[in-house]
Amino acid sequence: MRQEQFEARFAARWDEFDLWLKHTRLPRRQRAKQATPFADVEMAPRYREICQQLALARSRDYGPAVTERLHRLALEGHDALYGTPGGGLSRFFAYLAGGFAQEVRREWRVLLAATLAFVLPYVLTMIAVRAQPDFAYIVLPADQLAQFDTMYGPDADALGTQRGARDDLTMFGFYIYNNIGLAFKTFAGGLLAGLGSLAALLYNGTFMGTIEAHVVNLGHAARFYSFVAGHSSFELTAIVLCGAAGLKLGLALLAPGDHSRSAALRQAARSVIGIVAGAAAMLVIAAAIEGFWSPRTLPLPLKLGVGAFNWVLVIGYLLFAGRRNAP
Amino acid sequence: MLDTVREVSTPELIALRLHCAGPVPRALAWLIDLAIRGGIYLAIAIPLSAFGKGGTGLVLVAVFLIEWFYPVLFEVLGRGATPGKRALGLVVLNGDGSPVGWGPSLTRNLLRVADFLPFLYALGLISMLMSREFRRLGDIVADTIVTYRRSASPLPIAPEAPHWRTKAPLSRTAQRAVLAFAERAPRLSPERAEELAEQAPMLTDDALGQQAVERLYGLAHHLTGRER
Repeated sequence: MRQEQFEARFAARWDEFDLWLKHTRLPRRQRAKQATPFADVEMAPRYREICQQLALARSRDYGPAVTERLHRLALEGHDALYGTPGGGLSRFFAYLAGGFAQEVRREWRVLLAATLAFVLPYVLTMIAVRAQPDFAYIVLPADQLAQFDTMYGPDADALGTQRGARDDLTMFGFYIYNNIGLAFKTFAGGLLAGLGSLAALLYNGTFMGTIEAHVVNLGHAARFYSFVAGHSSFELTAIVLCGAAGLKLGLALLAPGDHSRSAALRQAARSVIGIVAGAAAMLVIAAAIEGFWSPRTLPLPLKLGVGAFNWVLVIGYLLFAGRRNAP
Repeated sequence: MLDTVREVSTPELIALRLHCAGPVPRALAWLIDLAIRGGIYLAIAIPLSAFGKGGTGLVLVAVFLIEWFYPVLFEVLGRGATPGKRALGLVVLNGDGSPVGWGPSLTRNLLRVADFLPFLYALGLISMLMSREFRRLGDIVADTIVTYRRSASPLPIAPEAPHWRTKAPLSRTAQRAVLAFAERAPRLSPERAEELAEQAPMLTDDALGQQAVERLYGLAHHLTGRER
């Protein structure tokens, strides 16, 4: 078939396909008003037809214009057919309802490594500072320690804040901005052979262990635990999860196994990016608790009880959610 | 042919051709986005600062969202491009040429942090220069590519001319060249078109000047089978 015959025969169908593509791009309201050239179910066979004609046009050496036209139609049809389905947010909530916990359980090895990298320095510095209070000043600068001294001291305005600085909404915004940003950076640091994530976990463990022991040494234990109990579960778990996701990336880079390094990285990222997003959601919860609940001066047993309940909630969720429809 | 063109095979086994974009247009797009983000910060911060302390909290939340999710939202919901990329005619796609989704877009944008190290995307630039498709680290991990948006330029049409046939054997390459010439010559200067047409005397029976051009047009019509 000569090119002109070919074009004359199929041009009408190409125009229809083009019209259908334009129609899908209209805003929803206008889409309802205008008629489509063909029903949506017909799209896939029509698209395959375009692909076949493109292959024909190329193999028969038809002119660049007609090949290019078919190529553009095929590209846009490809986008429409293989694009992301809508409902991003609802799919994310469905993921949080079970898929998130499933993926965390699947990655238990890196999670264990990340937990150790966080908990070991935490416990060790805590023991060291409890046994030898001056050790705190070797780990952290004195003015930083003094800051925490006032935050949990008896004359703080509200728990966990410096004098006169408290505003719940501001603190909530700060926790969102600072903590989730740090969690994302902890994940991204994994790309540096896992060192960034590892350093972040070790540093956080050391820092928090030192502060906790230091504040307890000074006799502010009740106020300190009253503040941190509520949000610690969500916050610490999320940090460890992001660290674990970063370690997974680093591991893919260091020991790609049977794959090329880039293929291993791609696979690792695909299996942990959901965990990072889920951890971010946990940190939003943590920020809300830390901003609006933790600074309240309420009876210590109540605060500790809520804290324990949250820990049970987080661990129970990670252990049991999504088991019923697990693959 | 061009080494920045990436061919991806669709499940229908046809090759889609994508033109990957290099570091310079991408840096420019980033600068435009930076200016836009700065504008949004100001537009949010000025009215919210009227609310006093609580306003600061909301500003911080907004800054967080824009800093991390501005590119993600635009890439997934805005047909693959932030406003800066759109201005430069760029679009983010998955490695297989399909539109980028939430997971890959989030991955490539969170990993900007690693690409930015040690300063101003130095690591990202090195990675781009070392990979064939100009991928920065985030692109490698997320399996995404940044390509030029398919141009909407009108398709060329070969101009009318009397039919012309030649007895010289026409190889496939020669046929392709004649068709390409007929569609592209109208966009060249007449002198250049004539100069090119005179390169193929065996196809035009040694015609010169405008006549050679016309004869090649005519030959193209003969090849495509256009009616007299």
